[in-house]
Amino acid sequence: MDSVKKEPKEYKKENPIGLFGDHLNAIATGLKYFAKPQRITLKYPEESIRLPTGYRGLIRLYKDVCIGCTLCAMICPADAMKMMTQEGKKLPIINYGRCVFCGFCVDICPVDALKETGVHDVAFSNRRDLIFDPDKFNKNYDVPFTGVVRKVRAEVDEKKGIRYVPDS
Amino acid sequence: MDFISILRFYFFYPSFFDIIIFPGLILFAVILLTAIWFERKAAARVQMRVGPYYASKRSGGFLQLVADALKFVFSEMIIPDQVNPTLFVLAPALLLMISILPFAVVPVSIIPKSGSIFSPYFHDFYDPNIGMGVLSGFFTQYNLVLVLALEAIYPIFIIFMGWVTNNRFAILGSVRETMLSVSYDVLIFMATVSLALEFHTLDIAQIVQRGIPGILANPFAALVFFIGMLIGSSRFPFDIVEAETELVVGPATEYSGFLFVITMAPAYIGNFIYSFIFVDLFLGGWLPFTGLPGAAYTALKAVIVLFFSVFMRSVYGRYRLDQALRGSWKYLFPLSLFALIFGMVVGFLWIA
Repeated sequence: MDSVKKEPKEYKKENPIGLFGDHLNAIATGLKYFAKPQRITLKYPEESIRLPTGYRGLIRLYKDVCIGCTLCAMICPADAMKMMTQEGKKLPIINYGRCVFCGFCVDICPVDALKETGVHDVAFSNRRDLIFDPDKFNKNYDVPFTGVVRKVRAEVDEKKGIRYVPDS
Repeated sequence: MDFISILRFYFFYPSFFDIIIFPGLILFAVILLTAIWFERKAAARVQMRVGPYYASKRSGGFLQLVADALKFVFSEMIIPDQVNPTLFVLAPALLLMISILPFAVVPVSIIPKSGSIFSPYFHDFYDPNIGMGVLSGFFTQYNLVLVLALEAIYPIFIIFMGWVTNNRFAILGSVRETMLSVSYDVLIFMATVSLALEFHTLDIAQIVQRGIPGILANPFAALVFFIGMLIGSSRFPFDIVEAETELVVGPATEYSGFLFVITMAPAYIGNFIYSFIFVDLFLGGWLPFTGLPGAAYTALKAVIVLFFSVFMRSVYGRYRLDQALRGSWKYLFPLSLFALIFGMVVGFLWIA
């Protein structure tokens, strides 16, 4: 039993020729991938993945449907949603700087006045723009992008890993 | 002689043309940007990414490096409080100068007695060993020794740079460089000495003119030299001196702006000059061409060797310092001794 002593790792026997073979193998693998690259990058602004239907993106308000019950502001875990009075009617406003996109407000709304849109890729140049007042909150947020976006779908491929096929 | 022919004479004078124009500084500047671009693109290809792309999509993002260089040139150079500003600014410039210096004695081609654009300089660069002129910035018969001597100065200036910046990351990087430089200088020295013994000369031009590529005559020396080259110019997997995840950028930590570009260049230039020596010693150099085509052929092969050595970034991670030292002293140093004896035997039997 006492003959079984664990040797320090630094002194373990290595086969130099085997090590050299391993290095050659590594370089050959690198060259193989260099010759036939298997890129899985999504070239984002030109092509984007089509999102599933239940995707929780930005939230929009239907101002005419809202009854001003303040449930959404009460359930909001991040204090993103607040109520404000506009022309004598209570309406929610949202601060996307705080919103965590949990969707509780949409779930709790008794009259379905809030809805999740599938838009998530937006950018703001100013923190004040992150606060949506009821008029801005009342419409779908349009992404002002002029280029051509190809919608693609990710597919698991046996050889490549991930492949992007155009989504019709 | 009229004015044009005088100008032409001095323009094509090898000490100017070879050092400044063609396989010299201008090519180095282009190759520096191309090599960094290639390094990023090759690593991206292997790692399933795309790499630089949006700056000039048609050329695969080649202008990204130009944009980076412009950005560095116009960003602020911060000089820390507790350093000597003169030495602080001087250190990268000295390092760059020392890294380019060995190229002055590396022969890139030969000058035939007539027919070449360099033929007027045949007698000024005459090499009695091969009976031809040698296209290099400065010709001596012992250029192999001189190249090694000039390359051996380089680590001292890295240590100098780490020392003047008064930064502990820089000091640690310099200490690593001291430890590594002992091992890689020994490897490169043994590999070249085994070639010198094998070909019975200390003249690189004569080794090339023998017509036997060194990689066939002594493959062990070629392997040892290549790995020594990777360690010496801190390419992966021996990116130990400027290990970005451990020491910010090693000796160049405190440098910013244009000074940082100057600190980044010497490693690539050193690698490129080592590639020239590797091509001359092991890959047949300029044969079968002479004159300017020979220089172009040597430069092309050197660029391929440089690209292969920057390609290592995509394959390897970084060795620890002790792993690199152990590898170089335990495996490569005995191999270089074997290459020495192998070179002596083969040189005695085959290359009389």
